[in-house]
Amino acid sequence: MPEQIEFDAVVVGAGPAGASAALALARAGRSVVLVERGPFPGSKNVYGGVVYGRVLDDIVPNWWEEVPVERWVVRRSTMMMTGTQSLSVDFRSQAWGSAPYNGMTTLRCHFDAWLAGKATDAGARLVTSTVATGLIRDSAGRVVGVRTDRDGAELRAPVVIACDGVNSFLAKEAGLLPRAEASHHTLGVKEVLDLPPGAINERFGVQDHEGVDMEILGCTRGIPGGGFLYTNADTVSIGVVVSLPELAASGVRPEALIADLKAHPTIAPLLAGSTLREYGAHLIPEGGYDTMPVLAADGLLIAGDAGAMTLAAGLWLEGVNFAIGSGYAAGRAVDRALSKGDCTAKGLASYRADLEGQFVLADHKRLRKAPSLVLSERVQQRYPGLICDLAEGMFTVTNPTPKAGALALTRQVAARHGVKLRQLAGDTLRGLRIFG
Amino acid sequence: MVCLRITDLRPAVDPLVGTVTRDRLGVGLTPADGAALEHALRIADAWSGRVVVVCVGPESVEPVLRDVVALGVSVVRVPLGDEGDGHRYVAELVEDERALARTLVAAIAPFGRPDLVLCGDRSADRGTGAVPAYLAHELGASQALGLVSVVAESALDGAPWTLLVERRLDGGWRERLRVSLPAVCSVEGAGVRLRRASLSGALAATDPTPAAGSTGTTSAAVASAANPITAGPGSIHVGPTRPFTPRTRILAAPADPDPRVRLLELTGALVAHDPPTVLHPADASEAADLLLAFLSRHGYMDEIPGATRPSPVDGDVEIDGDGQAR
Repeated sequence: MPEQIEFDAVVVGAGPAGASAALALARAGRSVVLVERGPFPGSKNVYGGVVYGRVLDDIVPNWWEEVPVERWVVRRSTMMMTGTQSLSVDFRSQAWGSAPYNGMTTLRCHFDAWLAGKATDAGARLVTSTVATGLIRDSAGRVVGVRTDRDGAELRAPVVIACDGVNSFLAKEAGLLPRAEASHHTLGVKEVLDLPPGAINERFGVQDHEGVDMEILGCTRGIPGGGFLYTNADTVSIGVVVSLPELAASGVRPEALIADLKAHPTIAPLLAGSTLREYGAHLIPEGGYDTMPVLAADGLLIAGDAGAMTLAAGLWLEGVNFAIGSGYAAGRAVDRALSKGDCTAKGLASYRADLEGQFVLADHKRLRKAPSLVLSERVQQRYPGLICDLAEGMFTVTNPTPKAGALALTRQVAARHGVKLRQLAGDTLRGLRIFG
Repeated sequence: MVCLRITDLRPAVDPLVGTVTRDRLGVGLTPADGAALEHALRIADAWSGRVVVVCVGPESVEPVLRDVVALGVSVVRVPLGDEGDGHRYVAELVEDERALARTLVAAIAPFGRPDLVLCGDRSADRGTGAVPAYLAHELGASQALGLVSVVAESALDGAPWTLLVERRLDGGWRERLRVSLPAVCSVEGAGVRLRRASLSGALAATDPTPAAGSTGTTSAAVASAANPITAGPGSIHVGPTRPFTPRTRILAAPADPDPRVRLLELTGALVAHDPPTVLHPADASEAADLLLAFLSRHGYMDEIPGATRPSPVDGDVEIDGDGQAR
């Protein structure tokens, strides 16, 4: 009979969601253990994006003074491209370069360790290099702890918070997460390239500590998805995020898509002379609101990627802030449930209510139709070329031929790309309804 | 006592200037250090002993030390150099390994004189393997280095504790030694793997209120009741061996009572030698005869049919077919 070690709550996964949940519980005076399978929080280190820190305002006051940031994003560029063209909508705000800031590039090996450190400072116990191998249930079927791959003991608690990431094994074991649908997931692949800080500043038009976030459409050989490029302190993260089933059906290797992007005439000069430091790949749950699992069961809550809380809505690609928001809400919900002495699904129901009252589920619900529009065939395969050709037609001087009218040019270009004007108008209206 | 060298296991080396960049997140135990710790735990189990781990390093190695603490051993960390990233520490370490050995010995003084010191054979970052030898010197202990197996032998009543150890030799041969205490043994990362701590041990290592350490050291969970191994005069006894090359010369042992003279006699040092003979044979046939005669004279061939056996030269020792000198 293994030893039973009792806590008020067990949190599985020391990513942003798990660390936030443990932090909320520890601050409430609860005994909580945070179980991490890696040697340290963030050791998986496959994330390469922008973290929006507004969610931290209430959790870590003046967080920007201590967070391990690479660069503060002051330029946000949305780019449409074809093999030889590109059109960017580039926005810059110096307000984003000073407190309280907007978004930052960060490396998760540093960021996660920092956030988990907040939890341990508050009294949470962190156990690393330990895999939660399964749930423990009582005779009534309630979850009452987890087994791990370490000998000699079990972790027992009235509530387990599963923050074990995309394709959560614990949520599956609990029956909350149905069989993973490939169509609800994308594959993100990235390379991290070494580039001297001076070269980054010069090529991307920023000063020290200022960064750039580029989101790119039309760079994935027609496979639904997009590309990205983020500037770090002395590296650049570049990669693509593509639909899993479409990628598999295409037979294209994901690294070939990155190679295409790096060789594009618009991108290549930005990366000249860079050297590969590391590469990685990761599944992303991009199905959105309609694919989220039930978030609570008797003795169990799900937060972060385990609950499919990554927001992939075209204009907005956010994940870490949703993980932090959901994790912290889970921690507070467990505290309330423990106070009431009711850790059943009903007792934990305040978790979902809390999420619906804040950005986590409100944004997901409002943008629930966005993934289907953003990943549609026309948006992915026709509009990038259409828009680039339209811009080229507008800006190409055709003397002595007179300039074509904008409507005529649009009709001509749309026809060339197999798009009818009413489809264009319909998609525009649909976009306005979703994002408006 | 186990000495660990915790460092970045995959440091980046600038191919142009050789600058080594270490990542504090990449620190860990080398397989050799892990094997040393595992051997120590097994020996402590066999002898009801106590394991004290000592390392010199910056604060960034603490997570690794917590994993070590989880195994139920005492840990002492000696801060040295730049606590920020440890680079200066590494530089100092490489420059002065003798000073490092003295630092390690001083750090464990509060625990008493160790009967057995185990460490990895060399560190992952430019290590030369000199520290174990310096440790043996500082402790006045025997040394057995580069081991692949360390087994605690059961001692009969009153008999001293001994270890049976094994190390690799060239040509695929192995040497087995019996080591008495005190001793310093360095081990290769082979043969054993460091055990995983139990869950309760791992949790105990994260206890925010560990036993307080003295200034400059980190002390944590302590093993079960200490039962120091009885110390005795150090020596390494070489057990029965057999030749590991097929043409070993068997020489009579020098008889002089002075070890220096015996050593000189064995090695031939300080003895005037005739310069090498350079032959310029008139033809290939004569050269072949000379070479065959040389090989025959030195015992590498049977009698050459039809050849005249040359007389032994003074100082030569002939070896016959059964390996006996005559």
